[in-house]
Formats: sequence, C-alpha cells, structure tokens
Amino acid sequence: MSTQTGGDDTPDEPSLGRSFRLSHTYRSLIYRTGLYGSMTVLFVILGFPIYWMAQNAFKTRLGLQEGITFFPTPDIFTVQQFDVIFNPTVGRYLLNSVIVTIGVVVTVIVVSLIAGYGLARFNYKHKVKTARFLLVGYMFSPIVLAIPLYLIWDTLGLLNRYVGLILALSAMSMPFAVWLMWKYIQTIPASMEESAWVAGAPRWRGFLDVIVPQTKPAMIANSVFAFAIAWGDFTFAYILMPDDSATTFPPGIFRLFHSSWETGWPEFMAVSLLVSLPALLFAFFLQSYLLKGFKIRAL
Amino acid sequence: MATDMEPVDQSRRFYDDGISIGGFEITSEDFWGWLTILPVLVLYTLVALIPIGFAFVASLHNLPLLNPQWEFVGLDNYIEVFQIDRFWGSMWRGFVFMVGSTVIQLVVGVWMALVLNKISRGSRLLSTLVFTSYLIPTIIVTMVFLFMLDPYDGVLHAAGTQLGLWDDYLLGNTSLSMTAVILISSWKFSAFVTLFTLAQLQSIPDRFYEAAKVCGATTWEMFRDITLPRLYGAILVVIFLRAVFMFNKYDIIYQLTQGGPGSATTTMPILAYRETFELGAYGMGNAVAIVMFLFLLVSGILYLKHMNPSQEVQT
Repeated sequence: MSTQTGGDDTPDEPSLGRSFRLSHTYRSLIYRTGLYGSMTVLFVILGFPIYWMAQNAFKTRLGLQEGITFFPTPDIFTVQQFDVIFNPTVGRYLLNSVIVTIGVVVTVIVVSLIAGYGLARFNYKHKVKTARFLLVGYMFSPIVLAIPLYLIWDTLGLLNRYVGLILALSAMSMPFAVWLMWKYIQTIPASMEESAWVAGAPRWRGFLDVIVPQTKPAMIANSVFAFAIAWGDFTFAYILMPDDSATTFPPGIFRLFHSSWETGWPEFMAVSLLVSLPALLFAFFLQSYLLKGFKIRAL
Repeated sequence: MATDMEPVDQSRRFYDDGISIGGFEITSEDFWGWLTILPVLVLYTLVALIPIGFAFVASLHNLPLLNPQWEFVGLDNYIEVFQIDRFWGSMWRGFVFMVGSTVIQLVVGVWMALVLNKISRGSRLLSTLVFTSYLIPTIIVTMVFLFMLDPYDGVLHAAGTQLGLWDDYLLGNTSLSMTAVILISSWKFSAFVTLFTLAQLQSIPDRFYEAAKVCGATTWEMFRDITLPRLYGAILVVIFLRAVFMFNKYDIIYQLTQGGPGSATTTMPILAYRETFELGAYGMGNAVAIVMFLFLLVSGILYLKHMNPSQEVQT
C-alpha cells in the first residue's frame, strides 16, 4: 500500500518543520508517480470489463469467434446485435424490469418522505428505538427472506405478481432511504415550516410546499439507490417470480443463458450494454447527489 | 397522503391536546409520529418479520416444497443441519468468502477513495467508473466476467493461460474458483467502500489541514493525525456492513458458479437455496436460513457492542 501513504502528500506542500532526508523534488516525484500510477491501475481495473463489454457488443458472431480483437474492425462491425431487445422473451424481461423498478422507486420515495418527515419533526415515544429497529433491516438477507416469502406469497397469491416483488424490494431499500430522509429533513430549518403555519397553512400544506421541494437531493439519492436495488435485483426476482413470462431481466437473462446455446456472446454483450446504460448515466450525472447520500451517518 | 393528514385541519383540539383513554395517553405527537412511520413498519412486518417467524415455524416441520404437508418434527431439522457435512463445509466456505472479500474490498476501496480525493484531472471520469461498477446490475457483471473467462473467446482466459496462472476454465477449477469468485465480487462491491470513505474524506474541513500545516506538520503526520482518525469510524461501520452483505451474498456466487464446481463455492446462502428449491426440503432450507440469521444477529450485536461504531462516525 505504498500509494496509501503517498496519497496524503500534496505536491505543493512547503517542506516546513521536520523534513525527511529526501528533498522536496523527489518526494513530490514519488508522490506524483504513486498517485497517477494508482489512478491508471484503477482506471484499467474498473474500465476494462466495461470497455470489453461495449466493444464486443458491436461485433458479428463470426468476428468474435475469429479471435480476441481489441476493436471492432469494419469487417466485423455490426449493430445488429441490438435487435435482441426486439426478441419477445428479452423484451418481456425488460418490460417487467421497468414496471417493477418504477413501482419500487415511487414507493420508496413516497414512504421514505413521510417516514423521514415524521422522524424529523415529531417527538413521539420510542422514536429513536424505532429508527434503530429499522436499521436491523440491513441484517435481513434477501435469501433468508425470500425462502419463507415464497410460500407466504404463494398463499397470498402474490407469486408472479408485480406487487409482490415491488413490496419486497421496497422493504429492502427502506433502511437506507428512511435514514437518509430523516437526516436530510433535520438539516432544513423548522422555522421555514412554522412561518407557513403562521400564514395559516395547515400542516400537510407546509409539508408539501415547504419540505418536499427542498428534499430534492435526498429524493434523487434515494431514487438512484432504489433504482439500483430494483433494477439489479436477482435473488427476490428469481425466487418470487418463478414464471418465465413474469420474471424481470436479471433472472430472465440468467435462465436464457443457461437454457440455450443459441444466443451468442455478442447478443448478451449488446443487451448487457443497454441494461447498464442507465447505471452509467446515473453515475455520470448524479454523482454529487450519490455522494451526498453517503454522507449521512450510516448507523 | 393528503387523506391521512386531512383530519388535522378539522380537529384542532385533538391536534393540540391529544387523547387519553383511561391511564393510556396518546399525545398528538405520538399519534402523527407513529402514523408517518406506519407504512415502513407495515412493509417490514410483511416482508421481514412475518417471513422470519414463518421460517422459524417452517424449520420445525418436515415440509416438502411441492406438496406442502406440514408434519411437525420439532428440532429434527436443526439436528440434521448440524450433522450434515455440507453444512460445516458451506459455513467454512462462507466464512472464507466473507473475510476474503471484505478485506480486499476494504483495502481497494480505501485506496480508491484516497486517490479519488486527491486527483484533480480525471476524477470525474474515475468516479463515474466507480459509481457505475456499484450501480450496474450484478447479472451484467457476471455475464461480462463469464464472457472474459470463456475458454474459447475469453480475453482473461487467454491472458491467464498465457501467464500460466490457470490452464483450464477458471471457474471450473476446484481450488481456484473461490478466489475467482471473491475477486469478481470485489470488483463490483469495492465501490461501496469507496463511496462511504470518500464521503467521509470530503467532510473533513480544509482548515484542519491548514492549521496542521501552519504548525509544521509533515504530510505523513497530517495523514496519521487528521485523516486516519476520521476514517477509522467509517471503516468500522463499513467492515460491519460489508461483512454482513458478503456473508449473505447469494446472487453473484450463484450466477457465476451455481455453487460449483462440486461444492467448491457453496456458501451458506447457496446451501439454503439448494436445500429448498433443488432438493425440495422446505423445512430444512428454512432451518439453514434461520441458523444463518441467528449467526449473523449474534455476531452483529457482538461487533456493535464491542466496537461501537456509531460513536465514531461524525457527519
């Protein structure tokens, strides 16, 4: 971990106080090498799989089989692989995923807003205990819950239904969402709401008109995390949506991959690229909101 | 929500005074406070508490999945669980997976955060990559790595065989598959540590460093006395969260190897799934799930009591 000790140096730091035997020039050089060397290594490790997926999505199947190439040359270049989304099976999986994801994001935002407001503005008995209890949700693993849920949902008739999956995934997103919203609303001065009350607004209007617009950053962070949970969930969808036409994208593509050898790697890479595009866009445009989301106290 | 809030308007008196029934007093704060948290609690009850209770009851029964006939067998399932070899094997493998991936993720994640915090050029691009690896669905990660490890067209496979690291399909190799699974899951989940640590790093006020500089501290001393103590609490929390998540990790292992080859990557979650849905022993699968849950609960409480990370983390 030479880079970790190197990472704290600043190049323009004047060598005040105790200085090491090495002169400033050398220390600065070592620091720069460590920092930009680490950066390059991380770029390669993180970027290579994504680059590899993207470039192979544009190759013909024959071109892929000819051997490993680092760029889709004109003779093997094609965009035909993206037709895979018009394949009724894959299209169905994607549609199901979209429906479930929208459901989860909406549920999480609404429920966490209300709960976060309650936690921040009302002083009721056992409030902190309740909030701590919510954190226990971190301990519930999807697999531990999904196995019993399978029979419960079966009895309730929620198996293979969007509602069943939406409920399960919303509950998984709740500990983070509610805590983030709670901490965020605490940073909004209560006096803003009080002035609305003085002006004669009922409490719920104060909530809707004063609080809700100001929680936009927290809502964005919450919706991105809820999106990530719902869009990427495999375990719950795999167990609670056993029917092939009801299932979402991750278990669907998994089954497709293991059931047929007809579809080749380029098609899989093309659909992978399409499905990871929202993640890429969120990561690029919303990263400041995401970081803000992580700034809350997690426990 | 408007419907829930409406009565506030009409019953100002209740809103101010609350109600008391006998000695049992509910202030309006209590009432509205609990009402706001009620949806979350209902969700929790439905999706977490009832299933855990149900799993416990089911684990006391002999219950074939396809023909659910509840036959009470008491603790037989648990006795059987602790006697079968595959349970202890999977527990050990789960432990290896948990510790291995947590350590790798912690080291790489903190390293990434320190680098990201310092670089000026390219930081937006690098953090985009970090966030992407976290937000990208697990199935995509496994598809891409399966492709790269494919014995015919895979680039990683070719590289590995060229370097003599492995000569067969990597995930089909009994002794290497666990390492491969740990590394691939670390690729995705190190980002969590990075985000968490980076948020902490960015919350350290610049004036701390300026003051230290004025006092003549070397950069190493600044790192040791300002950065590390601030990170320490976050790292304690992150170890806890990562260890819990990795112990419970089901999807990425199952997608990569389905617990194979043989049982080389069968951790406890995979065992629970296999018992339930492949062997159809619903009661038994639930017994494994309950053992997992209790194990996690006890070690989690011990960790939190011992380390008390909430004391350490400052926003």
